[in-house]
Amino acid sequence: MELIERYLQAVKFWLPKKQKQDIIAELSEDLHSQIEDKESKLGRTLNESEVEAILKQRGRPVLVANRFLPQEHLIGPVLFPIYTFVLKIVALCYLVPWVLVWIGLMTYSPNYRVQHGGWLAAAGAAWGSLWTIALSAMGAVTVVFAVLEQVQAKSHFLENWNPRKLPPVRNANQIKRASSIAEIVGNFALIGWVSYLSSPLIVNRPEIQILLAPGWRYFFWGYMCVALANSGLSVANLMHPFWTVRRAALRLLTDCIGSALFCLLMKANIVAAITAPKLDAARSLEITNSANLWMDKAFSPFALLVGVGIMAGGLYRIYRVKKTPISWIQGVASVVR
Amino acid sequence: MPDTVQASNAEVFENLRLELRRGCLVVAVLAALRTEQYGYTLRKALSENRLEIDEGTLYPLLRRLESQGLLVSEWREEDKRKKRFYKLSPEGKQILKQLHTEWQLMDSSIKEILKEQSHGTHRALSTGR
Repeated sequence: MELIERYLQAVKFWLPKKQKQDIIAELSEDLHSQIEDKESKLGRTLNESEVEAILKQRGRPVLVANRFLPQEHLIGPVLFPIYTFVLKIVALCYLVPWVLVWIGLMTYSPNYRVQHGGWLAAAGAAWGSLWTIALSAMGAVTVVFAVLEQVQAKSHFLENWNPRKLPPVRNANQIKRASSIAEIVGNFALIGWVSYLSSPLIVNRPEIQILLAPGWRYFFWGYMCVALANSGLSVANLMHPFWTVRRAALRLLTDCIGSALFCLLMKANIVAAITAPKLDAARSLEITNSANLWMDKAFSPFALLVGVGIMAGGLYRIYRVKKTPISWIQGVASVVR
Repeated sequence: MPDTVQASNAEVFENLRLELRRGCLVVAVLAALRTEQYGYTLRKALSENRLEIDEGTLYPLLRRLESQGLLVSEWREEDKRKKRFYKLSPEGKQILKQLHTEWQLMDSSIKEILKEQSHGTHRALSTGR
């Protein structure tokens, strides 16, 4: 029957070259035996629909042939979880920033928008570029892991491991002492630097002078207070290196104030004048206005984004501490250690 | 028990049943090939003993067992058609014997575990704990 021959031809296409004839001969024999059996029970020959039902029950030709093929994989079950993890890291650290930078350029750079023919055309071009970049990155990671799979199959390097080299148990609520010390040093450095800028005339050199607006004093004292508060908090964290809800909330408060101050500073037209002996008044004004405009248009959205990120991190920290609070005994034990 | 839970349990049972049967197929095929057979008659013989096996599973299995040296095969003409006949090789007979012993050990182990569990349940029920 023609249908059977077509089916066997389709299966044959996918079979390994060396065994094609042999396997097809066997499958053909089995199929004809089954049909003969059924015909002898019915006492008549099968019609095309009945043969079709038998073939359908056997399965799609490629799936039937697949069972005779050796089971191969590019990246096996051992390495696959690591492969997907690396892909996620690449997406987060490469593709996401790429998208954010593109959005920033389109939003804040009229020249860029004009060069790319407006939002719609630019979005279309960017979509194409993004896919090219994403597929290239994915391809590179896949090739590396395919090579690693071959190496692992031969050398079984993943099976050689030392339990002693495992990383220490992480407690997300623990505050590393080195981190607290770095914060103390950083805050004192900030206090020292900001103190140096107490006067609105922040740069006073023969070749250039930069004068800040009178409102600078509010920012000055604001930053000083935040730095002092953070220093105190870092000392407390050094003594008790586990977050508590109170200290996490205090850290969130100082971070929010610091971020808010920075965002406001960017929008405050804080630069009053940038002067130099070689610059005339008009040019000096132009430079001053450009500096303020840059801070407002370029840095201010970035500052807002960072501020939101810091606030989200702070809120999550409080949630995490509330979920798994450290006991008083554990806290004392950590100090004694 | 709601219908959806029953249907889900039936599906779980069916999947586990297939897994259990898959593990038994090699022993069943080797045992059946103590008598020379070709593919279709082998399938029918297993089916008559309530071990359904489709051709997509059987033929790759026969090839694998042959490549492992447990079976020997030859093409012969029967009823005007060429058929591939399989039977156990000497190594296959040895392996079947070992697998049979292993099977009996596993069977008695499972029976012991089930007996212990049923005594434990009975005790728990009678003491109310």
